[in-house]
Amino acid sequence: MSKVAIVGTGQTKFSKDDDNIEKLLFESASNCLQSTNNLDLNNIDGVLVSTNNNSKYLGAILSETMGIQPKISHSIEHLCSSGTNAIISAYAYISSGLSDMVLVSGVESATNPGQVLEWDKSRGILEHPIYWGSMLTKSHKRKFQTTEEELAIVSAKNHKQAIDNPFAYSNEPRTISEVMNSKQITDDLRILDCSRSCSGSSSILLASEEKAKTLSDQPIWITGIGQKTTSASFTKNILEEIESTRIAVNSAYKMAKIEPKNIDVVEVHDAFSVCELMAVSELGITSNEKSGEFIRNLFNTENRMVNPRGGLIGAGHPLGATGISQTIEITNQLQGKANKRQISNATTGLIHNMSAAGTSSSIMVLKN
Amino acid sequence: MTFFEQQLEQGIFQICYCKNCNNTIWPPKEICHICHNKANWKKSTNFGKIVEFSKKESTYFGLIEIDDGIRVLGNISSVSVPKVGQLVRMNVSFNSKPNYSFIVENN
Repeated sequence: MSKVAIVGTGQTKFSKDDDNIEKLLFESASNCLQSTNNLDLNNIDGVLVSTNNNSKYLGAILSETMGIQPKISHSIEHLCSSGTNAIISAYAYISSGLSDMVLVSGVESATNPGQVLEWDKSRGILEHPIYWGSMLTKSHKRKFQTTEEELAIVSAKNHKQAIDNPFAYSNEPRTISEVMNSKQITDDLRILDCSRSCSGSSSILLASEEKAKTLSDQPIWITGIGQKTTSASFTKNILEEIESTRIAVNSAYKMAKIEPKNIDVVEVHDAFSVCELMAVSELGITSNEKSGEFIRNLFNTENRMVNPRGGLIGAGHPLGATGISQTIEITNQLQGKANKRQISNATTGLIHNMSAAGTSSSIMVLKN
Repeated sequence: MTFFEQQLEQGIFQICYCKNCNNTIWPPKEICHICHNKANWKKSTNFGKIVEFSKKESTYFGLIEIDDGIRVLGNISSVSVPKVGQLVRMNVSFNSKPNYSFIVENN
């Protein structure tokens, strides 16, 4: 099995406005290919597109537009974790020897069909994510005595960190008080507790160990992968848990031969504020009872260890691109190229991306 | 429309289950996910318990557990703040999507 490295990255700015997905896709893919050294397009033998958009044949369309004639080309959809699922598929193609170099591009438009899972009959008329977000939040408050201020700190921290992310949909700071007094969506959710569906695209180039050395001075290695899908229906979840994350991360830790204490920087899937508290606990970084205090300490000490680019809440959530942007952030951190967002001496990073109220989770461990 | 949806339209919540495995199938499907035999149907008691709740504007909503551990989301009518574990009665309908609504018993 070949080792697999990240050798190129490219993104577009995220936006609340609808945009043409093909234009966005070509922009991030072009930025990605330009970020490499000595790239011969003839060596790219895989092109994968992750999106919830209903457009067809995007893998082939992206290939033709970029002047690539790959062996493998197709789209990948898995709601909010489409991006990491596409990267992990590319990893499998390369490590198995079916492919040497794969371009993975994620894209979404702000209004996209991935926000509501119509199949899930258990949601009735309450199909928008705010309803499951409210259930998770209320349950976390009830079981772990989580306060509204602790929830607001997640959003204030991520908005603050997004100020230094040039690709974030907004660079406006939000204080704890502003979050706590923002528009009330339900009794348990404020508008600033919610990530926002955005337009945007991000691309990543993966290569085998042999090819990686010619393409990048600082290849970043994928050393751990874990995935788990427990169901498709939200209502089968235990409200205080993300079981899929717990199972997936244990697989990833085992494969990477690391423990939670080895993680220097992490991107977690903060669809709502409560999801960040639940994620840091399920990843084994802290406990559920201490998750609010843990995030408060990061905020007070300006420690960017969790969601340095601003997370989904601060940067925006273009579903098919989110997992790829999370992976790009950890790549930049491990290369020492994260500018003002840089965590000093980061050598190991983790990406947590999930779908449909945590019914499915994907984890990757990266090392420099 | 599926059988489940047709029945909802008539105000009936049908529980999908497998006679062979004695297993509840939720959300309803044509076949059992364990033995893959054809699924069977029985009517719900139309009673459930509140697992969790919140409020949007002036309307309570929540996650309700009805028969055989099936959980659904729906609006809750209650004159006072609902309680976790409280008994509720279910009404159902169908208009392009299922609609489950609940009334707190002994309100």
